[in-house]
Amino acid sequence: MPLRVYLTEIALFCTFDSRLPMLFNSFEYLIFLPSVVVLYFTLPVKWRWLLLLFASYFFYMCWKAEYAILILFTTLVDYFVALKMGREPSRKKKKRWLVMSILVNLGMLAGFKYLNFFSESVNALMQITNSGYSFPLYHILLPVGISFYIFQSLSYTIDVYRGIQPPEKHFGKFALYVSFFPQLVAGPIERSTSLLPQINAPRPFNQQNLISGLKLILWGFFKKLVIADRLGMFVGLVYENPGEFNGLPVILATMLFAFQLYCDFSGYTDIARGSARIMGYELMINFNRPLIATSLRDFWNRWHISLTTWFRDYLLYSLPYIRDKKIIQSKIYRNLVITFLLMGLWHGAAWTFIIFGLFHGLMLVVESLAEKPVGRFHELTGINHHPGIIKALGIAYMFIMVVFSLFFFRANSLENSLILLKEAFDFSNTAESLKAMLRNLEFVFGILMVILLLVAEHFHAKYNLVKVIAARPVFVRWTVYIGFIFFVLLFGVLHQQKFIYFQF
Amino acid sequence: MKGKSIKRILLFAALIVLVNIALDLSFKAFSVHNILNRRMDEQFAAYNDTLKYLALGNSHNCINTLILENSFNYGSPSENYIQSYYKLKHILEKTGKKPEYVILQADISTYGPKIADRYEYNSYWIDYIDYPELARIKGDRTILTKWLEGRFFSYAGNYKDVQLSILYRIKIKTLEMHNGYRPHRDYKNFADETNKRKLAWDKANLFLTKGVYLDNSIKIYFEKILQLCQANKVSVILVRYPMTKEFNDEEMKIVPADKLFSEIESIASRYPVYKGLFDYHSIFFSHPEYFFDPDHLNIKGSDLFTRQFARDMENLESGLSAE
Repeated sequence: MPLRVYLTEIALFCTFDSRLPMLFNSFEYLIFLPSVVVLYFTLPVKWRWLLLLFASYFFYMCWKAEYAILILFTTLVDYFVALKMGREPSRKKKKRWLVMSILVNLGMLAGFKYLNFFSESVNALMQITNSGYSFPLYHILLPVGISFYIFQSLSYTIDVYRGIQPPEKHFGKFALYVSFFPQLVAGPIERSTSLLPQINAPRPFNQQNLISGLKLILWGFFKKLVIADRLGMFVGLVYENPGEFNGLPVILATMLFAFQLYCDFSGYTDIARGSARIMGYELMINFNRPLIATSLRDFWNRWHISLTTWFRDYLLYSLPYIRDKKIIQSKIYRNLVITFLLMGLWHGAAWTFIIFGLFHGLMLVVESLAEKPVGRFHELTGINHHPGIIKALGIAYMFIMVVFSLFFFRANSLENSLILLKEAFDFSNTAESLKAMLRNLEFVFGILMVILLLVAEHFHAKYNLVKVIAARPVFVRWTVYIGFIFFVLLFGVLHQQKFIYFQF
Repeated sequence: MKGKSIKRILLFAALIVLVNIALDLSFKAFSVHNILNRRMDEQFAAYNDTLKYLALGNSHNCINTLILENSFNYGSPSENYIQSYYKLKHILEKTGKKPEYVILQADISTYGPKIADRYEYNSYWIDYIDYPELARIKGDRTILTKWLEGRFFSYAGNYKDVQLSILYRIKIKTLEMHNGYRPHRDYKNFADETNKRKLAWDKANLFLTKGVYLDNSIKIYFEKILQLCQANKVSVILVRYPMTKEFNDEEMKIVPADKLFSEIESIASRYPVYKGLFDYHSIFFSHPEYFFDPDHLNIKGSDLFTRQFARDMENLESGLSAE
């Protein structure tokens, strides 16, 4: 029986299963990663890029083999565009090549991600005006990770245009930069200036990298399996059934969604960074305890850092804000709103995401305008002598704003988000709902785990828990590690739930 | 890498393997569900009377074997048609026992994708299910992780079962079981619940998916059960168990029952061994006091239902013999 099982597993694995991409929280990945790592360090240095490239395409093709053509196409276009720009002395001609790269990449994104949304929106408008014409809708399956790898590839051509990054001459290594499997489907969106030099330099085996990479992976699994997927059960129940819950359950579900989203995405990032680190690659930090930010501006400096910095560096700073050599404040605000609107749209082709982005953009403008009056208010009331109170108020404000915006982010449609928003303020049956929730073991355990996470992150930021544990005798260290491994295995939700950001 | 480092890594890995083996064996020995299911297996192995009725299905199956003569209730928690098929196959091929009738559960919730993808208690089912075959039929490679779970990591993700096993450790030793039937659902009554509709809604949404009423893999395995019974000349009876009105109302909001059952009938009627669908879902609509919760009868309800079912089976048999 076991041999047959292994053989069938291999057979199934090779024929690919189009239902899911290879998830980090799957048995396949637990075989795939160690196999790749062992082969990687066994091969001579000069061939390692080839193994990683093959592994990366295999990783992606486990989902839809044919969609790997899109990655290859992006890679080919940007590789040749960058080479052309490198040879071109004229800035004007360089710009033409850059525009071509932008058009091709964004055109692909528009075709696969936004075409139906555009058609549906125009059709709705046509219906209102009774014009009788309607755009056709297509059954297009959104390629997993398209927003991530296209942005990564685009950042390279823009950097080459700006002269920050020399064009990569080795096609294989550039293809690996675009498709590197740990961060291919959900980031972090790497910069060529950081990842390409790492691909080009030899990465010898390092025991410390192995250990710290494994620790990071374990922490990521804790966030994903123990917290995110558990909270997801309660959040999903409320959000999949708008109109069925009201008051406290709706508000709590949205608050918990903030933690679910954080644990899901940062858990993914930790596993991605850990997997890369084992092989000697350092990916950028994507989250810095965002849910203890003291303002929305602070929140966006800590949340999905690779995306926010991408929009900052490649869009916000490129938009015009100077007239007659003078900085125009109103234009800065306009640019901020445009950037966040597009950042909302990046998440998904739906009005809910547009509202999400627009809300954050506008609130950032309001925050900026209110900075001085709020400072004066603090002085007048004397709160400025109590930084702890200011911090607590800031966190509360940020959390309320983020949770409010998540009503739009999480709901399946604009209509549903409005229903849920309305229901959130209906507090009838509150006592009964509360009793029912407290009877739900998964719910209570999920909240306890969120508290554990916040406490652990607090102490880690203060004392560096990894170092504290590493300094203990081997018996204590190993007890902690083994205990934590089995804690995650026992208390994890092992249903191979997809990562939320895969849909973007 | 130095030799000392390699030794340390190997030692660490060995410790993990040892702890895993200890947890796996402990879970298999002490899990409440494993104990119950194994006891049912033991009772079935020891059953030497004429086996006229063999009831399969999940906890909705409440046939009291003390009332229905020559019957064995082999239903187990959260069992679906896939698991029932492999259990029936095992019985017919390996135990030498052959029932005259197989009573299959046919509730609305039996056929949805949520039930089809619910593989719990794999450390018990590993003895029955052919996971590679199942993975091939479903075209889903993740099924094989269930095999792994059943074989090596039975405790993984099952902390609820651990908690139950601790709580019911003593109680389970004295739990009554007669030919698979357990008269144990009397510590609460649905009639006393203040928010019946909400409880019914919770349960219905736990089992059903809007828009999908017949999962493809369930359909395949339903046919496989019928084919198996046909090959072994075992008659098949489908039973729609009694439900509360509230639960039924919520189910009907999610799934078109008429469409579902006409499709089930059209599949089943292709096999001569199929003897009919006995529909009891609405018989206790005005009696919430016969229920433990929205979709489970209590002891009194089970007794009343089984008596009715036994009478109906007598009628069916007399009708068949007249034919």
